[in-house]
Amino acid sequence: MNETGVITTLRPWLRHLARRRGRLAIGALLMLLALMAALGLLALSGWFITATGLTGLALAAGAAVTLDVYVPGGGIRAFALTRTLARYGERLYNHDTVLRLLADLRGHLFSVLAALDLASLSRRRASDWLNRLTADIDSLDSLFLRLLAPALVALVAILALSGFVALWAPLAGGSVALVLGVAWVWLTFGQARWGMAASRRRVTELERLRGRVIEHLTGMAELETFGALAEQRQRLDAIEARLREDQRQLGRIAALGLSLGGLMVGLAWLLAFWVGATLWEAERLSGPVLVMIPLAIMALNEAVMALPMAFTQFGATLAAAERLNALEAARVAPGDLATRRLPTAGPLSLQLDRVSLRYPGALKAALADVSLTLAVGERVALCGPSGSGKSSLAALVARQLRPDSGALYLGGCAVEHLDEEALRRRLAVLTQDTELFDDSLAANLWLGDPQASEAALWQRLDDVELGDWARELPHGLATRVGEGGRRLSGGQARRVALARLMLRDPGLVLLDEPFNGLDAPLARRLAARLDQWLEGRSVIVFSHHHEPEAQPLPGVNRRVTLPDQG
Amino acid sequence: MTSSLTARSWLARLARAERKSLGLAVVAGLVVGLMTILQMATLAWLVSALVIDAVRPASLLPGFALLAVAMVLRALAQWWQENAGIQASLRVRAEARRVLLDHLQSLGPVGLTGHHTASLANRVVDQVEALDGYVARFLPQMRLAVLVPLVILGVVLTLDWLAALFMLLAAPLIPLFMALVGMGAERLNREQFETVSRLSRHFIDRVRGITTLQLFGVGRQATEEVHAAADAYRVRSMRTLRIAFLSSAVLEFFAAVAIAVVAMYVGFGLLGYISFGPADQLTLFSGLLVLLLAPEFFQPLRSLSQHYHDRAAALGAAEGMVELLNEGSPRQGHVPSVPRGKGLVELDAACVRHGERGQVLGPLDLTLEAGEVLGISGPSGVGKSTLLQLLAGFVEPSAGEHRAVPGLRLAWMDQRPLLVHGSLADNLRLAAPQSSDAALRDALQRVGLGDLLTALPAGLETPLGERGVGLSGGQAQRLALARIFLSEAPVVLLDEPTASLDADSEARVLAAFSALIEQGRTLVIASHRAAPLALASRRLTLQEQGGHGDE
Repeated sequence: MNETGVITTLRPWLRHLARRRGRLAIGALLMLLALMAALGLLALSGWFITATGLTGLALAAGAAVTLDVYVPGGGIRAFALTRTLARYGERLYNHDTVLRLLADLRGHLFSVLAALDLASLSRRRASDWLNRLTADIDSLDSLFLRLLAPALVALVAILALSGFVALWAPLAGGSVALVLGVAWVWLTFGQARWGMAASRRRVTELERLRGRVIEHLTGMAELETFGALAEQRQRLDAIEARLREDQRQLGRIAALGLSLGGLMVGLAWLLAFWVGATLWEAERLSGPVLVMIPLAIMALNEAVMALPMAFTQFGATLAAAERLNALEAARVAPGDLATRRLPTAGPLSLQLDRVSLRYPGALKAALADVSLTLAVGERVALCGPSGSGKSSLAALVARQLRPDSGALYLGGCAVEHLDEEALRRRLAVLTQDTELFDDSLAANLWLGDPQASEAALWQRLDDVELGDWARELPHGLATRVGEGGRRLSGGQARRVALARLMLRDPGLVLLDEPFNGLDAPLARRLAARLDQWLEGRSVIVFSHHHEPEAQPLPGVNRRVTLPDQG
Repeated sequence: MTSSLTARSWLARLARAERKSLGLAVVAGLVVGLMTILQMATLAWLVSALVIDAVRPASLLPGFALLAVAMVLRALAQWWQENAGIQASLRVRAEARRVLLDHLQSLGPVGLTGHHTASLANRVVDQVEALDGYVARFLPQMRLAVLVPLVILGVVLTLDWLAALFMLLAAPLIPLFMALVGMGAERLNREQFETVSRLSRHFIDRVRGITTLQLFGVGRQATEEVHAAADAYRVRSMRTLRIAFLSSAVLEFFAAVAIAVVAMYVGFGLLGYISFGPADQLTLFSGLLVLLLAPEFFQPLRSLSQHYHDRAAALGAAEGMVELLNEGSPRQGHVPSVPRGKGLVELDAACVRHGERGQVLGPLDLTLEAGEVLGISGPSGVGKSTLLQLLAGFVEPSAGEHRAVPGLRLAWMDQRPLLVHGSLADNLRLAAPQSSDAALRDALQRVGLGDLLTALPAGLETPLGERGVGLSGGQAQRLALARIFLSEAPVVLLDEPTASLDADSEARVLAAFSALIEQGRTLVIASHRAAPLALASRRLTLQEQGGHGDE
């Protein structure tokens, strides 16, 4: 990848950083201050000792010389104190910044995800993908603290110090600038470039290894009975060996950078010292300054040593940025024409006109030329085996997917032209899988209607026969439901989802297997209450049962069957 | 595997195997320290020669050359130290992965149930990676943080015993610092880890439910909430960081003060202001060298504190691994004895017991004859799957006996057939690596996937799985069946093979079962559905409390 490619990839993330430029600048300045204080401490101490040594000799020889010990002494104390405080302050301040950036990036990425269509989302919802996503954010989040700031601070320190040395010995200053400048370029750009291929590959190899291990574990019954475990294990080992080779290479590159960095700093002070010594011989440089110069350069070690490790792994950061950029590119921007409103009350009609949908990579279309008309206030049961496209149809109506051809009309208006807010308020969908959030029972219900009173929540809980259960809970509505609602039983979670749905006031309701996981008598009782709520709304109920009596569907007037596409 | 394995003992065991490389890293690190001392001494000597003795630089060239040599040697030793650490770390990680995978294989399909596969994979892949910094850097540095300061102390002692006394006073503080740094870093790490993982869980929870959030039209609120949660965690973790960073600040402070104190002491000593102790014997050489060595005395400790989070990360990761390694396998590797009758497999009063669930099957007598089709039915939870697992050898009887014809080959299929990342052919050849393409085509034809094959432009080389062609549940099931046709295993164990299929797909799968039966294979079908059980030549109905009846 060339330089412009790198910059294009990182640009959106640098722009994010730029929003906090004030904090970043202060953080970098604190870093610089800590480094300069460390440098000053060692340099001034060297100067002081040499000056006192020379004065001491002169005094012993009986000369009447004086040396002001208080100013340098005060300087040494000030540097020591500054170094400690600046280092502490810098770490604290920069960690605060990094955490702020993390909040920014997480928020931003979430808004990107919220705008993805269902097809891109469902491909990406596996938990290992989510873990990688958070890891990618973390690696971009530390872009400033690990890469940008240390590199910048080191460069400024190198230039400032070269200038300072040049005040006394221009030749020494020049050679320091040259040697350390080359070292800086190597330790940043050189290391990044050299480690690029391996560090990018390392991320993909880890990914591949993870995939193979998952295969190995989920398929163990088959693999073991077929006697294929050993062979499969060999493939796994081959990936691991490749990964190890990359890591060895990366380790070597970083180690070389580290050794080289140390050597270059050493070379720089050796050169400066030699030049200083010749100047001292020519009496154009004082003894204390002769000692001060190499000591100051020596202190740069600290700044240079942080670079090679971080920059060798630069490819991994770049790969993370690329993955997140790809995600951003998949975002579906709402059209400019999406401004049409819907009547704020009353049932809505729905019309599907020769709608087709095919998922990328799928062998067959999920929906082929499907037409359907739902009159105002009508209730229709849509039947079909699994894979016949019922969920796809619901996602099309909810504008979570776009059809490849054909059109959908809600309340007489093309779905793609509807105002987002109007669409969400007037359409309610109960998905087949119950999705609850790791929050309180009340917060989960409030998703249905953020303005609902607690009394309204209790009313709906009573409707789904969870009121008594919830009243017995020590924390009542504040009870947390756990990750994905896992602290509730499957049936309870389904009923919470129903209660959440019934807090809304839609004109069209899509119900996907509404009583999934509930026993028949309870389902019948809930169906009666759901029936009341569905009064004055248009309804489609999805079911994969062929027999009408298998599931108590509330007052359905018509039955439509989708053909099997599988 | 001993049952009392702890995170520390597991890490220690892994490190012990690499003590040679790690020892090498310590030796190399010590050489780095010695070369640093040599550099400083040469520099101090050169300064003294130039400034005090007014020697011409040209005649000091050997001194300058010695400096250059020391620098090069130091760089080489550092390179050596790093590489030895990397070697050790790579081997430790490979070994940890090998042990973990071996253990998972010995647990087998039954031992793995109840584990989340993604979290197991996370332990085998990512958590093993978390051992890197600990092995490569922390372990060598732990020795160096003691050795290098001791050497420096020795050198300073020969130069000026009072300055050495300063350091010696600081020396007993070093273990104290280490504990302080350790406590700080460990707490920092624990809290940070906890904070970050809670934050990640919140984020993941919201992303997982993002379609619901879209449907409720609350995407924007949720975005703000994600931001607010991250910011709230920032405020909370800054409170901890303020304290946690103090420990390294203390270390920093001592390193800075050591330089300042030594500079003042040496300076005033050289001026002759200090009339006690060895101060009047100070020279520019000894004074400067003491000053140059003062920061080096603290440097190894500062490096150690930088690597401390590696240790905490490794301990955290090791805990997850050890938890897994301490899990006992449901089988001890005992080999079934030879059947007494002419059955392929015999169960004699066999029982299976699972730790906390107690006895889940048996006592059960069963003889599986060649060529029969045994249908197993019964209410859910009665042990249908356990019986199949027992026949397959994934679990051993806790009482009674399991006998099988030696070398009996089995095939297995359940509701979630394995699709490996690779081509259609790769997936089929899992069962019979030597099969020809013609045999693969034939097997696909038998399970009714011939049409699919002709529809695929790349044919048998079509990639499956992630980013490849997506198969429907029924197609995947039939692909697994095609594997069974290829495998030629005489006994086929089918665990709820059609549970997740609709009626049409089920019919196609059942037709393939019939073809297997025609080939004379022995089938054992466990199902709660009527259709697959209708193929059975003999039925076994399992009842609660271990009772069962033949039909």
